[in-house]
Amino acid sequence: MKLLLVEDDRETAAYLKRALGEAGHVVDHAASGRDGLMLAAGEPYDVIVLDRMLPGLDGLAILRTIRAAKVKTPVLLLTAVGGIDDRVEGLEAGGDDYLVKPFAFAELLARVNALARRPPPRDIQTALRVADLEIDLLSRSVTRGGRRIDLQPREYQLLEYLMRHAGRVVTRTMMLESVWDFHFDPKTNIVETHMSRLRAKIARDGAPELIHTVRGAGYCVREP
Amino acid sequence: MFRSSTLRLAALYTIAFAIAVVALGAVTLLTTRAALARQFDKRILFEAGAMAREYRAEGLSGVVQAVRERDRTPGALDYGLLAPGGGAMAGRLSAPGAPLGWSVIAVDDHRGEPERTRLYASVLPGGYRLLIGDDADRVEALDGVLIRAFVLAFLGVLVLGVAGGYGLSRGVERRITSINATAEAIIDGDLSRRVPVRGGDDELDRLAITLNRMLDRISGLMENLRQVSQDVAHDLRTPLTRLRQRLEASLASPAGPEAVEGALEDLDTILGTFAALLRISQIEGGARRAAFRATDLVDIARTVVDAFAPSAEDTGGSLSLEATGPAMIDGDPELLTQMLVNLVENALRHAGPAATVRVKCLPPERPRTGAQILVVDNGPGVPAGERARVFDRFHRLESSRSTPGNGLGLALLAAVARLHGAEVSLHDVNPGLEVRVAFPARD
Repeated sequence: MKLLLVEDDRETAAYLKRALGEAGHVVDHAASGRDGLMLAAGEPYDVIVLDRMLPGLDGLAILRTIRAAKVKTPVLLLTAVGGIDDRVEGLEAGGDDYLVKPFAFAELLARVNALARRPPPRDIQTALRVADLEIDLLSRSVTRGGRRIDLQPREYQLLEYLMRHAGRVVTRTMMLESVWDFHFDPKTNIVETHMSRLRAKIARDGAPELIHTVRGAGYCVREP
Repeated sequence: MFRSSTLRLAALYTIAFAIAVVALGAVTLLTTRAALARQFDKRILFEAGAMAREYRAEGLSGVVQAVRERDRTPGALDYGLLAPGGGAMAGRLSAPGAPLGWSVIAVDDHRGEPERTRLYASVLPGGYRLLIGDDADRVEALDGVLIRAFVLAFLGVLVLGVAGGYGLSRGVERRITSINATAEAIIDGDLSRRVPVRGGDDELDRLAITLNRMLDRISGLMENLRQVSQDVAHDLRTPLTRLRQRLEASLASPAGPEAVEGALEDLDTILGTFAALLRISQIEGGARRAAFRATDLVDIARTVVDAFAPSAEDTGGSLSLEATGPAMIDGDPELLTQMLVNLVENALRHAGPAATVRVKCLPPERPRTGAQILVVDNGPGVPAGERARVFDRFHRLESSRSTPGNGLGLALLAAVARLHGAEVSLHDVNPGLEVRVAFPARD
């Protein structure tokens, strides 16, 4: 994927550029708001990673400008201010996701991958399928190998979120935010608990595991 | 002195009143003068008529006699009767040149001094002329009396105005000075000072009360800031020191990735504490009220119980929700969720394995009371002496030192509750602890 990274801190930018490059992305880096705005408005990118506090032109102003110019590229905002209202403000300005510094690189990578748009399906999706596991989005029913699986509402939401991001890593925080709407970090491992229940329910004798744990990052649903 | 706004205002009012007094005096003077002049003229005309009647009844001799008689009467008008040729026949007045009708001439009075006289000349049958006059200065003499009265009134207004204005401005100035002194003392660093309130409920008192409330708020925020920096120093230094030692040790004896992983874990703990502190101080800053909206405590409780019940069950305990109907409050759902998560995690942790924790939502019991949320566990509870202190930042019961937690959970609970105007109380339910958060009635 082609990414634009707008970050003024030289060291952070160099680290992210190298790490994202190692993960297989092509990264353009802009060190100032002005350069960032020029690149964002001029070149097609898959995802823009935008620092909120930049010298000269701040991140939110850039975001508003490119959204006003009808640039629909997904934007991940990075910020050092983790205030409660700041996230809302960032999303209202047209951001698609929000990550508070300092963060683990795995978290950033997972979120960048989750943001990248896949080519739109030709038909409206009514079902998600990974190997023999299938979700019917209309009746909200789950089957594996044709056998029906009963899930609690939360477990269903969790599975749907994983399946929508099939093949990509989903972090614990991403799940807390999207499934439970928790924008803070509970001390208890609730994601792990729910995940192990979900795994137990969709496990089938002899069939391979579909939900994989990605060490140090999160979970991933993919074909074995 | 003239920089006092009250005094300026009083002076302005005094001048306005003085001008009003002068205008009133002038109008009174003019109307009185006109009325008096009309009355004097009427008296002269009446006498002229009387003389004409006298002539018709008694003839010339009757008129001569009447004139002489009146001349002798003190306070009467001045008269003069002239022959057709102009010779004086009777009376003090003799002005042969006076025209018919009204005129003003100078006549020598009884002391021989000239005196302005208002004269009315009429012709009796036979060509005799009758002159009737009156002292023209009598009206002006009355003017003098009126003017003196008004000058006195004018002086009175001036004196009262100046004295009243001075007194008023001194009173206001004294109170402004005390507000000023308070402000100066605060600028110099004594934030405990407050503006004195007299208790009269006037506008200056209301101003003082508002200022004092503002000062309370400011000192609350300052206290909060001080507390945060103290907390940061207190509770971040220890883990930072540990992290430093770990890194130093790994430098001395090149260790594997385990050492780095341990350091990262330490770092995450520190960042978590840091985030919690910032969040608490942000909530205590009170800037979140704008995000308040109608919220059902039952929805929040259901989300939290759903999320944590499996974890509770995995350790052999249970977490359940008891609610009869919606429990609506005005609040911030995100903060309330975090508050309840902290409460539930706290209860599960303190009650240990096989913890039975119940979350209860109560709708308002009576009008003018609010909804409540209760978290009841079956743990060892909190000793009565410790109950007030558990809400302090970093306070941890001795018994829980060995369990994870940064001691900020209940401080955050207290901050969220305060923001919502809710009251938190701890109750012993033998065995176990009940934490009750009672929200205020909705507007």
